[in-house]
This record gives sequence, C-alpha cells and structure tokens, in this order.
Amino acid sequence: MIVGEQKKIDEIKKLIVPYKKLLVLGCGTCVKTCFAGGEDEVATLSSALRLCLKKDGSPAEISELTIERQCEDEFIQEAAHDISRCDAVLSLACGAGVQAIAKRFPRVPVLPGVNTTFIGILEKHGIFTEECVGCGDCKLGIFGGVCPIARCSKKLLNGPCGGSRNGKCEIDPETDCAWQLIIERLTALGQLDNLRKYIAPTDWRTSNAGGPRKLVREDHII
Amino acid sequence: MVTTMTNRQVPNITIFHCINSFNNGDRPDIFKSTQCAVKTVKLACSSMVKDVFLLKAFEAGADAVIVLVCPEGTCRHSEGNIRAAKRVAWVKGLLDEIGLDGRRLSLHNVSPGDNDAIERILTAVRSELADLGPNPAA
Repeated sequence: MIVGEQKKIDEIKKLIVPYKKLLVLGCGTCVKTCFAGGEDEVATLSSALRLCLKKDGSPAEISELTIERQCEDEFIQEAAHDISRCDAVLSLACGAGVQAIAKRFPRVPVLPGVNTTFIGILEKHGIFTEECVGCGDCKLGIFGGVCPIARCSKKLLNGPCGGSRNGKCEIDPETDCAWQLIIERLTALGQLDNLRKYIAPTDWRTSNAGGPRKLVREDHII
Repeated sequence: MVTTMTNRQVPNITIFHCINSFNNGDRPDIFKSTQCAVKTVKLACSSMVKDVFLLKAFEAGADAVIVLVCPEGTCRHSEGNIRAAKRVAWVKGLLDEIGLDGRRLSLHNVSPGDNDAIERILTAVRSELADLGPNPAA
C-alpha cells in the first residue's frame, strides 16, 4: 500500500485560505488504511478547519466526500457533482490521486492535503514500514523476501556492512539491519548459498530515476 | 474586545462518558452547583468517542469538553479507556494546532457513583476556562 501522512493544519490553512467553498475529498483505499485520508480523517480535518477558520474570522463553506479510490475514473466521476459546487478541492489522496482529480477537473484547483511517503506495509496496528522503492527490477527471490534496496540504509547488495549492532542499523538504531534479516531468512529457507552469487550494481533506469514510467497492456486495450 | 468567561453567564461544557464511569440518568444537582451548562453524551464504552465527535462538540459551541472514562484496569471492554485516552491526546494536539488550546479538552478516570469526583472535575475545568476564555470559534 501507499503510505502517506496528513499535512499539518497550519500548512493546509495557507493552501485553502483563498477559497470560500472547499470540498475535502477523501480516498477509501491506501490513505484510509494509514489514517491519513479516509472518511474518518475527512470528517476530523473538515471539523478542525471549520473551527480554525471561524476562529480566525474567515469562515468558509467546507463540504466532505470520500470516494473508493481517487486514482480511477470509475470512482472519480462520482465526485463530479460535489466538485462542480466548490471553488477548490482539498484532496487527501496520495499524489497519484491528487493528479488524477486535477486531470479530470482541470478548471478547479486541486490541493494536496497529504504528503505521500512510501510503499509499505502495516507492520502492526499503528505502525507502517517502508518495504519497496519501486526500483522496477525485483530481486526479492534472491534475498529471501527482504529487499536490501528498500530496507538497507546503504542499499548494499552483496552482504552486510558490518556496522550493525544487536540487529540494528548503524545509520539509524531504530531500523532493523536488513542484512541480518536476509541472512536469517535465507538460513531458515536453506538458501544461504544465494549470497554466493555476485549481484551487480542496481540499474536505476528501471526506477523513477530513469524518468516517469508507463505500463501498457495491449491485451487490455480495446 | 477580549471576552472573558466572567462576561458570560455560564460556560458550556460537553461531557462524553461511558456508562461504567457515570450515570447521568437522573442529571444530578452537581451540574447546577458548579454553574456550568452541561450537555452529556452517553456511550456504551469510552472507546466509542471518535476524534470528530470531540471537535463537533466545539463546533456546537462547547467551551470545554470532558471525557469521563472508567478507572484503569476496570474497562469492561478491556482497553476502551486506553483507546479513549489516546484519541483525546491526539485531539488535544489538533486543538493546539487550530489555536483553540488543548487544555479545553480533558480526560478523567472516574469510578461509577463518584459524584464528588465529577464535581471536582467540573470545578477545575470551570477554573481553567476562566483563564482560557470562551470558545473563540463558537
């Protein structure tokens, strides 16, 4: 899932201050799971903004709507009526959702209410960790399902740096040493010999560093 | 002109409470003695208090919001009062960000039937409101 974090009220206030009719638009998928932009967060943020603007003596009309996903036209069109009645949209979706809304409704300013951060998992309730950087050339099969590109602070591909202590990274003691996890996992799988193979430096051309990417599936295009 | 609480007749206070911490069925006289206009919202468990409910209470004109939960270790739903405490802490932060001051929101552990504790809490909140003033977003 895509993980994001809602912007601070102060920053959002500066974005919305020119507008008198605002639609706070939530997304019911990734950002709902990480408590950044689902229906509950839309309600809470809208209430907070109403209080804030009224306190400042510049109240605005704030309406609320949450759609299943802001990255798909099928769901975006459900917001058409509400968007037509506002001066601006404060989208709580990830960056992809914000842009999809802006593309579909080019005459309405679409403002981001969430900072999109990483691709990750829910490790346990309330804790989300980065697991994938979208490098475009997945080698997880070699590393027992632990990605050294996403989870090693140094992105080492051919073994640990030797600086870890008690299973924690020397760069950030709050981060697990990815290479310890890789070795433990491969040992459990009986595949430690995978590490005898030399892994060449990452070719970043398949990642966003090579430019914006596109996936075309001709078999699905009519 | 800054409006102080002394210029207003009575402060508006909203109390969210679980049925295990307070029984408001008879609306005891303690509300009158503390000179507060009190609205109560009864919940099956204090964990049912959502962030937006607390903020909506301020939107509805509350000068202060109190959340009464049962004492630690006595929640009949195990950790409801712990969840409520976390949400109240979160919303206090939001109130500080908004500029309303997080001191307007408080959470208290109360044993059922302890009306003296409730009277003390309301008196303390009223005293806090004398310093904070009425809700500027009401």
